[in-house]
Amino acid sequence: MPKYGLLIDYEYCTGCASCEVSCKEEHNYPVGQWGIRVHDDGPWEMEEGVFHWNRIPAPTDLCDLCADRTGKGREPICVHHCMANVIRFGKVEDLALHLQEKSKQVLFVPQYKPHVAKGPFVPGKKGGHKGTVSQVKAKENVGYEIATHRDRSSKTQFDNEGGNS
Amino acid sequence: MKRDPKHRGRADKWVQITHEEAFDLIEKEYKRITAKYGRKSCVVFSGTGREGGGMNPYATNVLRTPNMCYTQSGYACYLPRLASAAYIVGVVYPELDYAGGLPGRYDDPAYEVPECLILWGKAPLESNPDGFFGHAVIDLMRRGTRIISVDPRVNWLSTRADHHLRLRPGTDTALGMALLNIIIKEGIYDKQFVESWTYGFDKLAERVKDMPPEKAAGICGVKMEDIYAVARMYATAKPAAIQWGLAVDQKANGMQTAQCIISLMSITGNIDVPGGQILADINGNVNEVGYNMDQGIGDDFNLMIGLQEYPACCQVTFQSHADLTLKTLETGKPYPLKFGFYAGNNLLSCTSMEPQRWAKAINESLEFCMTIECFMTPTAEATCDLIFPLATICERDGTVFTHYGGSPVTIGFTNKAVEKQGESLSDLEFVYLLGKRLHPDLWTDCKSVNDFIDKLRLGGRYKFKDVHKLVSVQHEVKYRKFETGDLRRDHEPGFNTPTGRIELYSTIFEQLGDDPLPYYVEPKYSPVSTPELLDKYPFVLTTGARVIGFFHSEHRQIPYLRELNPNPLVEIHPKNAAKLGIADGQWCEVYNQFGSAKYKAKVTCAVDEKTIHAQHGWWFPEDDGNAPNLYGTFRSNINNLIPNFHFGKLGFGAPVKCMLCNIKPITESYDTDMALVWKKFGKGE
Repeated sequence: MPKYGLLIDYEYCTGCASCEVSCKEEHNYPVGQWGIRVHDDGPWEMEEGVFHWNRIPAPTDLCDLCADRTGKGREPICVHHCMANVIRFGKVEDLALHLQEKSKQVLFVPQYKPHVAKGPFVPGKKGGHKGTVSQVKAKENVGYEIATHRDRSSKTQFDNEGGNS
Repeated sequence: MKRDPKHRGRADKWVQITHEEAFDLIEKEYKRITAKYGRKSCVVFSGTGREGGGMNPYATNVLRTPNMCYTQSGYACYLPRLASAAYIVGVVYPELDYAGGLPGRYDDPAYEVPECLILWGKAPLESNPDGFFGHAVIDLMRRGTRIISVDPRVNWLSTRADHHLRLRPGTDTALGMALLNIIIKEGIYDKQFVESWTYGFDKLAERVKDMPPEKAAGICGVKMEDIYAVARMYATAKPAAIQWGLAVDQKANGMQTAQCIISLMSITGNIDVPGGQILADINGNVNEVGYNMDQGIGDDFNLMIGLQEYPACCQVTFQSHADLTLKTLETGKPYPLKFGFYAGNNLLSCTSMEPQRWAKAINESLEFCMTIECFMTPTAEATCDLIFPLATICERDGTVFTHYGGSPVTIGFTNKAVEKQGESLSDLEFVYLLGKRLHPDLWTDCKSVNDFIDKLRLGGRYKFKDVHKLVSVQHEVKYRKFETGDLRRDHEPGFNTPTGRIELYSTIFEQLGDDPLPYYVEPKYSPVSTPELLDKYPFVLTTGARVIGFFHSEHRQIPYLRELNPNPLVEIHPKNAAKLGIADGQWCEVYNQFGSAKYKAKVTCAVDEKTIHAQHGWWFPEDDGNAPNLYGTFRSNINNLIPNFHFGKLGFGAPVKCMLCNIKPITESYDTDMALVWKKFGKGE
C-alpha cells in the first residue's frame, strides 16, 4: 500500500491557524489536543536588521490524514482551508518529486496514534532460550555483605578511585 | 431579555420576555423619551459594522436620530483614510488592485502584478481589512511582487520584505514627506500624470523641502539610506501599490500621513491602473450609509453633535463626533441624550478610550439603553436594559462587501446553513421590524425584509433571491476612469474634486480650516515632545496589532480561537525584560499617567528597545459578569492608558499607537483557565 503524506511549502506559511482550527473542528478534538500544529520559529535576528521567522505546520500523532475525507476523494481539511495554499496531500513518491522544485519545503509522513498503530504486544514465536536444570548448594549465611557483593577489602580501593588522585 | 435600569451591571437580574413584549417595551420607552426630549435624544453607538456594513438605518430609519456615533475617539479607524481620499481624490478608498474584480483574476489579460507593494502600518494577513482578502498579498508575492514594510514591529511579512522601515510610532508623516522629497528631487515621478491630472504639485514640492531625508531619519529613527532606497524602489517599480493601514488613522497627525500616501500614489502614476490603486466607479457604488437619510432625519441632520465644530469629520461619516458625544453624555449639552442603542459595539472592551469614563457617562445620562448581540458583552451587561438575540452567520442569509460597497471588487453572499436556533433576528430583520413598528409611514415602500435588503444592500441592482446562490458577484472593473468620466457625477474626465484633479494641494482641507499641504506634528506624548516624562514613562506604547483568531473584542468565548491566544499579551524586548526582571510569560502592569492594565509578558524582539506593544479588545467571558468586574473588561484594557480629545484640526485621530508608558512585573497571575473556557463554551460531550 502506498504511503501518503503532506508536503509543506513553509516559505509562505503565514501562521493563520486555519489548518489547526479546521482540523480540530473536523475531528472534534477538544481544547488541548491538535491534529496539526504550526511551529513558530522567530522572530530572531539573523544579521543586523534581518529577522528570521518561519512558521512550519507539522502534523501530530493525531493526524489521520483525514481518512474519512480522503476515502471519499476529498482532500484533507487542512489542505482545503489553508489560506496560503502551502499544504499539498498525495502519495509520498509523488510529493517527493515536488521537493525538487523549490527550497523551503518539508515532507511529513504522519502516523496516526503510533501507540495504537504498533499493535498490542505479542510474544515472539521462536520460544527463545529455556532454563537449564541443575542443583544449587546453599552457602552459610554471613549477612548482607555477601548478599550485596560487598567486600571490606575493596573499600580502600574505592576511596582511592573516588578521590583526587 | 429585559432588566430594570436600576439593576444595570447585575448579571442575575435579567428576565426573559417574548418578542412582542420586547417590541412593546421599546416602543413605550421610545415614545416616552422622544416626546419629552425629541428624537435627537437618541444615540446609536456603532462599531466597526456587521455584515460588512455600518447598519446606519438603525439611526436614520428606526430611531430617526442624527446621532449615530462610532465611539472611538477621533473616529480613529478607517475614516481618516476614507475622508482624506474623499477630499483629495474624490473617491471612497484607493485599494490595492489584486485582480479581485477581474473574471480571470491574476491571469486576466487586463491585470498586471505590482512589482512593489508597500505595507504601511498594515497587517493584511491578520486583519483582512474592510473586506480585503489578506492572503492576496501571498498570491502576489508568489507571482513576483516585492514587499516594503513600514512598521515599528517586526511582523512575518516584514521578514520577507526588501526593506523594513521600523519607524518610531506616530512619525509616519515625516517619513511620507521625506519619500515625496526624494522622488520629486530626483525627478522619478510620472511627469505626464502629474501635469494632466493633479493640482498643486509645485506647492507640494516646495513644502516637502521642509523634510529632507536626513531630518526624517532623525525623527523616525531609521537610516537615511533606507529612506532613499525605499523611495527609489517604490518610484521606479511599475506598477506599484501601497496598502495603508490603521496606523495612519491612530494619531492626531494622521490626515497628513494620508495626504502624503495619496500624493505618493498619485505622483508615481499608480492611481487607477492595473496592479496599482483601484478606484470605485461613480456608477457602481452602493450608498448604504446615506440610505433614505433625507426622509428619515431630514433637517435634524443639522442637530448632529459635533457637526458645527468638526464638519470635516461629521459630514463625511454622517455620524456624530465621538469625543463631543461623550461630553454631551456628561454635561447634557447642547441637549440631553436619553435613549441608547448599540449597533454592534462593545465599547467598554474595545472601541473607546477611557472606557470607565464612557460607562459612567452612559449610565448617568441614558434612561433606556438596548442592544442586539450574539453574546452577552461587558458593555451590554454594564449599561443595557434590554438585549435582543442576534442571529449568527450560520443562521441567516447576508450580503458582504469590500469597503462597505465602495470598492470595485465583489459583493459576497452568505447563505444560511441551519435554521434559527431560538428566537434570534438578523440585524436587517430587526431594522425592518422595529422601523416598521416605530415609523410605519417611513417604510411603506418595503413590503418585506427582502425588499429592504435589496434596496439597502444591493442598491436595487440585484435581487438577493436571484444572486445569493452565486456566493459572490464581481463588479465590472475599468481602469483609468479619470480619462473616461467614470469618476465624476457629470461624467467629465478628471476627478470628483473642486479642481477636477487630485488635489496635492487640498482646497477642501483649506476650506475646512486645515493646512492644504502635509505637515509633521510630533505626537502629544513622545520622547521628543515630552522628554520630562521619560523618567517615569520611558517606553513608547503602541497598541492594537491584530491577533490571529480574534476580531477586535470578538471570539474570546470560542474555545478553539481563544486557545490560539489565551491571555492578553504585552510585547517587550529581551533587553528591557532582563533589566526590569520580567520573565517570558510573567504578568505585568503597564501604566502611565492616565491608567493601567495587566498583561502577560511576551519577551520578543518583534518590538525594539524603545517600544512596548499591548494587545487590544480583551475581556474574559468566562469571568464573573457582575459589576464592577464585568467579565474583567477593565483589567487588561489598554484603552485605560489612552485619553480622549487628542485629535487633529479636522477632528480625526487618537493617540492609540503613540503614547508613553512604563511596565513592571507583578506577582499575581491571571492566566486563563482553558479548562473553564471549554467547560463553559466548549462543545461538551
